[in-house]
Amino acid sequence: MATGCKWKYFPLLLGLLGAARAPAAEDSSAINNLKQLDVQDLLNVEVTSVSRHAAPLAEAPSAIQVITAAQIRRSGATTLAAALQLADNLQVAQRGASGWSITARGFNTDLANKLLVMIDGRTVYTPLYSGVFWDAQDYLLEDIDRIEVISGPGGTLWGANAVNGVINIITKKAADTQGLYAEGGGGNETRGIAGLRFGGSTPQVNYRVYGKYLDFDDSALPDGSPAGDAWHRGQAGFRMDAPDSTLGAWTLQGDYYSNHEHSPTGTSVLGGENLLGRWSREHGEDSGFSLQVYYDRTTLSLPVAPLTIAGLVLSPPGTLHDELQTFDVDFQHRLQLGGINALTWGLGFRDTHDALDNAPAVAFVPDRLDQQLYSAFLQDEIQLAAQLALTVGSKVEHNDYTGYEFEPSVRLQWQVAPAHTLWSAVSRAVRAPSRIDRDLQEGPAPYLSILHGSSDFRSENLLAYELGYRASVGESFTSALSTFYNVYKDVRSTAITPATVIPFYFQNGVQGHTWGAEWTGTLQLTDDWSLRAGYVLLQEKLHVKPGYFDLSNARNETADPQQQASLHSSLDLPGGVAVDLGLRWVDTLRNSDAQQVGTVPAYMDLDARLAWRASRNLELSLDGANLLHDQHPEYGFPSPQRTEIERSVYAKLVWRQ
Amino acid sequence: MRLARGALLLGALWLGMAVAQERAAAAAAPTEQQLKAVFVFNFSHFVAWPPSAFASPTDPFVIGVLGNDAFAAQVEEAVHDERLDTHPLEVRRFARVDDIQDCRILYIDRSQQAALGRVLTLLDHRDTLTVSDLDDAAKRGIIIQLATEDNRIRLLINTESAHSAGLTISSNLLRLARVAHTGD
Repeated sequence: MATGCKWKYFPLLLGLLGAARAPAAEDSSAINNLKQLDVQDLLNVEVTSVSRHAAPLAEAPSAIQVITAAQIRRSGATTLAAALQLADNLQVAQRGASGWSITARGFNTDLANKLLVMIDGRTVYTPLYSGVFWDAQDYLLEDIDRIEVISGPGGTLWGANAVNGVINIITKKAADTQGLYAEGGGGNETRGIAGLRFGGSTPQVNYRVYGKYLDFDDSALPDGSPAGDAWHRGQAGFRMDAPDSTLGAWTLQGDYYSNHEHSPTGTSVLGGENLLGRWSREHGEDSGFSLQVYYDRTTLSLPVAPLTIAGLVLSPPGTLHDELQTFDVDFQHRLQLGGINALTWGLGFRDTHDALDNAPAVAFVPDRLDQQLYSAFLQDEIQLAAQLALTVGSKVEHNDYTGYEFEPSVRLQWQVAPAHTLWSAVSRAVRAPSRIDRDLQEGPAPYLSILHGSSDFRSENLLAYELGYRASVGESFTSALSTFYNVYKDVRSTAITPATVIPFYFQNGVQGHTWGAEWTGTLQLTDDWSLRAGYVLLQEKLHVKPGYFDLSNARNETADPQQQASLHSSLDLPGGVAVDLGLRWVDTLRNSDAQQVGTVPAYMDLDARLAWRASRNLELSLDGANLLHDQHPEYGFPSPQRTEIERSVYAKLVWRQ
Repeated sequence: MRLARGALLLGALWLGMAVAQERAAAAAAPTEQQLKAVFVFNFSHFVAWPPSAFASPTDPFVIGVLGNDAFAAQVEEAVHDERLDTHPLEVRRFARVDDIQDCRILYIDRSQQAALGRVLTLLDHRDTLTVSDLDDAAKRGIIIQLATEDNRIRLLINTESAHSAGLTISSNLLRLARVAHTGD
């Protein structure tokens, strides 16, 4: 990129700029930097001064963080889940070679269930347990435009499951992925990575097709031996955009993927395909509508271990097969009303068809289930004064388990100064029951299982109070602090059957509150060097409700670090060399196994990447993850079988044309 | 104890950054004008002018800017000390349509909407690459339109206009642009 000539001026600049800024010198260097880019890159440069929603992030009245395409590329991440480590407001723990636990504001259990995750508007959490199979969610990372990570409830706009956070993964428009992209590489843990994309256009339509393949080595057991969880996956897909048809803009996109994951109990096979169409039309700057329709099919084939107690086999091993088909329609309309009201309303319908072949020890009854979800929302952003906006709204949703659910919120946004925003919100969000809460059983007699769903399991609900401040100073420094106080009711607990003890069954026997803060700051030190830091504080006070019992005494939901911190550095050196470092520290994680208590020790680890742009088309990189330890655990109750994450190094070659 | 330390650390970070923000304002994300200026400079490399466009090998390659002196200054910054083959690059500012002199690239600022028809008549077959950020510029006969969508610049190219001006646009640029037609 640009030459390092600014370096010698840096101390001088720091001194000068305390009082006054020197725009002339900076502007010319901005132009010189731009001249180093080729036209394709120039088309991807984001500008700061546009009329519509200028500096949107600096004014966003929520705990939102945006992971940019450049951050993803420079992180060396090979999967979507790994890229989410870049969000300072998420708790991300790698469980094994393919397993990830990801949450916001706590509750990172084995069956973590309080996040809503969408890829281009398609919801990807599974109704089996309201969690996300992170190993099944991926994309050619080069073609991801940005990932918006909102910590805190988003139920008013997005509905059930947007309890502790919302992750929006947004892929690039086909117009931004024209030409050829090819990547290939490998190393000790990421054994193989290959990706290919071609983008083209006709006068009306831009399109791309892509494919990606990944092959991962085993993670390690505490004694250093392989955990037997190596895996590989392939994915292919396409996207077509017609941005200026006479009827508006439309998009058609689809993906297909297949995973094979080994484990000591057998090989899991995950697969699926989806097809999504979106039609949108803008009427001027302040109004417009979009209509989105998608179909998604997800299949699982999971080996289930036998259930053995004291040497007695209660249920033999088996395989759980699941095929879930989802059909979803979503309509949204924005309009201006009376000058000060920005109104957004929408309607949604989702039909799911779940078909299972149950295993002896784990079964969902009924094994065929059709469910319908209806929803409507209305939100009004009222400009009370030039600097003061109030946003009120609610979603109303009807699901087959609990009927109607309401998720209102009130949000106040005060523009203290340009690009300085103070905001506050009170929101309600619910996690509707998933199939595991209601329908989990054993296979047909005489098999037994130890855990059952419960037909009277209700929705978990949250009342959240938030206060935040975000500021952007000059064009080089941004900072955001979000604080929250969350009150949870009817959180899932595990009760015991009177007299026989097992089977355990789910109830809504836990409640309590959490509070904490999330801070993130970015600082552009010079044209070529930027720093980003983040810190999260989380305190969880959950307890068992009077008259209820919980097997883990309310500890199961709170296996979270009380603190975590991160520091990222991105540096461009002369000669097309880029150096990136990411340091993260995660506090002790206290977890439980039934009545026993254990920990994952606090750890600090380092990711690093060295890249060299050898020519306009060719880039070489050396990527390292978890460099400070041979291996370390990030999740799970201590045992000889707990998997640990090993130091990973791989080399990659990229061709862009 | 652990929590008190955490809260302290958080406070210190927040304050520290608040102080740092007063000091640091180096480096800048580009403004829309800077980005557009660099595009205009780049176009000189992606378009072939007929030999007849230049009287001699030392003739300057003139980039004209109609109706926006601030933008002209940015283009000057971008072309400073640059040459195209043997031709030094030069920027000229035109306040009104009548001021327009012979130039190889003419940038028409969006403020000149009313004058666009006259400009196009004036330039007919004059080996001039017309560029503008006006809405619908390409549909109205401008060769390259710079449109801003989602905070990014998009290129719309009217190949018929390029052809009638005697210019050949590199396929490497066309590949990255949307093709527009006069009047559609």
